[in-house]
Amino acid sequence: MAGLERTMTIEQSQKRFARLTALPGMAVLILLVVGPLVYMFVNSFFVKTLATPVPPRFAWFENYKSLVADGRFWNAFLNSMVIMLIGIPVQSALALAIALLLNKKFPGSRIIIALFLIPVMITPVVAGFEWKIILDNRFGPLNYVLGFFGVNPQAWLAQPVLAMASILLMDTWQWTPFVTLVLLAGLASIPKQVYEAASVDGSSAKETLWRVTMPLLRPVFTLVILLRIIFIFKVFDPVQILTGGGPGVATETLSVLTYIIGFKNFNVGMSATIAVVQLIIITIIAKLFIRLVMNRRQGTPS
Amino acid sequence: MHGRTKVQMVLAAMLLSAASASFAQEKVTLTVYGDEGQNLVPVEWLKPLAAAKGITLQTVGVPFTSVYEKLKTEFVGGTGAYDVVIFYPAYLGEFAEFGYVQPLDGLFSVHDPKMDDVVPAYRDLYDMYNGKTYALPYDGDILNLYYMQHIFNDAGEKAAFKAKFGQELAVPRTWDDLGKVAQFFTRKKGEKLAGKTLDQDFYGFAFLGARGFAYAWWGNIFGSLGGAYFDKNMKPQINSPVGIQALNIQKKLKDYCPPDVMSYGYTELMNAYLQGRVATMIQWSDVWKKANDPKLSQIVHDAGISQVPGVKQADGTIYFRASAPVGRVIAIPATTKHPKEAFWVASMLSLDLGIKSVTSNDTGEDPYRISQFDNVQAFEKFGSAAEAKNYLTVVKDNLNHIFPDINIPGSAEYLDALDVAVTSALSGATDPATALNTAAASWDKITQTLDPARQKKIYNAMLEAWKKHGFWKD
Amino acid sequence: MNATELRQEDLARRKRIRTLLSVLRFSLIFIFLLIFLFPVYWIGIGAFKIEGEFYHYPPVFWPSQFTFANFGRALTVFGGTHALITSLVVAVVNTGLVIAFGVLLAYSMGRFKVGGDDMSFFVLSLLFAPPVIATMPLFLIFKTLRMLDTYPVLFLSYILINMPFAVWVMKGFFEDIPQSIESAALLDGYSRFHAFRKYILPLAVPGIAVTALFVFIFSWNEFLFALIFTRSHAQTLPITLAGMTGGHQIPWGEISALSLIAITPGILLTLFFQKYLVRGLTFGAVKG
Repeated sequence: MAGLERTMTIEQSQKRFARLTALPGMAVLILLVVGPLVYMFVNSFFVKTLATPVPPRFAWFENYKSLVADGRFWNAFLNSMVIMLIGIPVQSALALAIALLLNKKFPGSRIIIALFLIPVMITPVVAGFEWKIILDNRFGPLNYVLGFFGVNPQAWLAQPVLAMASILLMDTWQWTPFVTLVLLAGLASIPKQVYEAASVDGSSAKETLWRVTMPLLRPVFTLVILLRIIFIFKVFDPVQILTGGGPGVATETLSVLTYIIGFKNFNVGMSATIAVVQLIIITIIAKLFIRLVMNRRQGTPS
Repeated sequence: MHGRTKVQMVLAAMLLSAASASFAQEKVTLTVYGDEGQNLVPVEWLKPLAAAKGITLQTVGVPFTSVYEKLKTEFVGGTGAYDVVIFYPAYLGEFAEFGYVQPLDGLFSVHDPKMDDVVPAYRDLYDMYNGKTYALPYDGDILNLYYMQHIFNDAGEKAAFKAKFGQELAVPRTWDDLGKVAQFFTRKKGEKLAGKTLDQDFYGFAFLGARGFAYAWWGNIFGSLGGAYFDKNMKPQINSPVGIQALNIQKKLKDYCPPDVMSYGYTELMNAYLQGRVATMIQWSDVWKKANDPKLSQIVHDAGISQVPGVKQADGTIYFRASAPVGRVIAIPATTKHPKEAFWVASMLSLDLGIKSVTSNDTGEDPYRISQFDNVQAFEKFGSAAEAKNYLTVVKDNLNHIFPDINIPGSAEYLDALDVAVTSALSGATDPATALNTAAASWDKITQTLDPARQKKIYNAMLEAWKKHGFWKD
Repeated sequence: MNATELRQEDLARRKRIRTLLSVLRFSLIFIFLLIFLFPVYWIGIGAFKIEGEFYHYPPVFWPSQFTFANFGRALTVFGGTHALITSLVVAVVNTGLVIAFGVLLAYSMGRFKVGGDDMSFFVLSLLFAPPVIATMPLFLIFKTLRMLDTYPVLFLSYILINMPFAVWVMKGFFEDIPQSIESAALLDGYSRFHAFRKYILPLAVPGIAVTALFVFIFSWNEFLFALIFTRSHAQTLPITLAGMTGGHQIPWGEISALSLIAITPGILLTLFFQKYLVRGLTFGAVKG
């Protein structure tokens, strides 16, 4: 009898402790984050623009219908998806490769890791301008170096496909180190004993990587890829500066479009609509991705 | 009798002195808003003069591309943070219509800005709104045709051109001629140009293709064909036959432009010219000042400037229009607590400091006043007297044929849709007709959202101003 | 050959393979470093170039004369010093706030699954919306509170940007810590909070360190809110840098110089946090 009572108290106290620790954080989140987002949802149902003194008009789903019929929206959606579908796999593979290379303590390893992180620290605005120079048709070092490999100078930012490639190049450059670092932190928390046990079992390096390291890395990997998916949809500053969404609308992503509609046109209602749609899209992608990862983990307790 | 006259005289004296010191000499702090860097330099020059009048000037500078959204946010929020605002005239209609900025005619007595001195077309289309003056000019941005002089004067080139086209080689005044000239001068590395062998590819023409202001380069052609943004009933005319024709003309010209022209912003376009890689190009007035600076240019004293090409009319004259993207005007927010002092600042910047501002390479400003255009001597630091005189004549002529950015409410949105159409068509993603039709449909939608009756009224008022300068016929 | 000699040959061969692999490893690292750092190098040498060397063909890979004037001008004429200080204060304070509020929440979500998967996804979803949306409403709120163009406006608004991210990442790291450690502490009679502070927290430090580093960098680089919510008093580096890229003449030398200075705090922080990353290995020892 006494033992049973004691168990319940422990559970209760655990629950209470859990709620207590969660409280301050949740309060801040709700106050500062949820509020504006609710405002955004509400706005998406209004035809509301700040460009003339026309009062906002409640219009149910008119904005949404209008958006779906708009070719420019679908173009932006496509552009964002292309960047995500190409950028994420490339960045993940590259980051994993680099993380594995760096996952060994050697003199100077700390400094090298710090050096690798520098691209992430470059202010995106500056990164945009720098890449503009690097990709310049005549003066850019990229074309100059490519020249040594027999490649003709390319007008990177003047052609739709090349411009998209440039965006991907810049994004990969700036964010792969981020993924690398998180993966390194994940690798660092894999105890040495695990590797020792694997080698005792006679496992080759390749097998160890796939059978032992990757599964242990999975939670961290999932986490960081999910974050990258979200961020890559939001990337704005460098794209705006590198191409402005051009040539034409070849690199106009959802985030660039949202900005133009919200901040150049001050069409508050429509930009809220795009944001809500973007939210829905990312939610779907995120859920799909999580489901994909969970399915692979059948049998392992989550 | 004596005493009363004396009192009258003292009263009169007090009134007079009060009138001349048109505002009280108490200490006042004013905040001036503008785009960061060069363009706020004149405000720095004004600071000591203002201090002498008890005015402390503070500046708030924002990035060039953020001028509109930052200012609009402050206006919408009603913060009253700024007393003097410098921005691009495309937004004047919106700011005036919303009552964010106040009419200035009543403040002229503080310090007469001499609006008669401002080039008439520029004044009427970029400083006035609804019959009142809402802004003072600060920077006369206008597009001009630039060319390399020596290749047009070369005997060998002249002969070859005549042989090929059956007409004299001359600085092109029509789009047709520009096409011929551009085609003629586009050459590969290794070929000859004016007797010298080219060590890099050379192109006949260049324009600004980057997103943001690309529409204005189309505007030159569209305007010269007689185009206007809407007709009197607010039906978009950008996709009219002349609109599509203009875009097709530009598309043909693109064949003779450098391959990366679609990524050309201000700097890239200017460099293409200053480094002697293009025969002709169209850009803002300040390029001429830089072209004669040996630190920046390889074509010193070879930089020719001319009117933007146009279309030959039945009577033999050439009708041309020069777009005026960006540009800067000064306005006074309605919320300022010191309108008189603020107007003094604005007027000083526009008038008194104007000549120094437009003849300095420390600022980015271009001339906009007749008195500035007449002051050839002040511009001789950039070139010979003859060159300066030609420069001023041409720029004034272009300004008088201004094809302004549309500046009714919603202008940012209209221009963005147009910019998308122009750049999409030129980059080959769509054909000109489809692109412009899509933009026209967007324009209709925008007008519908912004109270069509009001838009029509405002636009028609703008058309009246166009009519006055011969830019519009009913 | 006898067994010892065979073994020695075998060992020698293994050693050669290991050396070969090492060389390969370092070569690859070197190549990657080269590629990733080249743009940074380009910015760096730009800081020392004179004006004519930016739009120059062929590209100038090594400045002909090293000028330091760009740094001086960047810090004085262009307001770089003021921006540096502002950015530093804002980034440090904001990181502190986000971590302080976020750690407990991340712990309770990671350890106790407070709110379950839905809550976890909800926090993540807060990251989905582009901050552009929140600008107008926040602007009006801050204006009413008279907070515009002050430091606190950035402290608070950056929480919106950084907290969901921080909580989500740290939650992941807390999830990785085995419950056995906490149970052991509880069995020993310690209170929950003590268990958290003395046993869990130290193990989560690598994850918290990584998170703090990135929150710092995100605050440091943030542009939109800084543009809209500040004017001159609280102007941060990204705004100053963007302002230098005015429509016409772009002072590349000064921009490069200021950018170079701007990445220094980040590098220093990373070097500092490296120690904490390494600590993760000792945690492995406990787990074993």
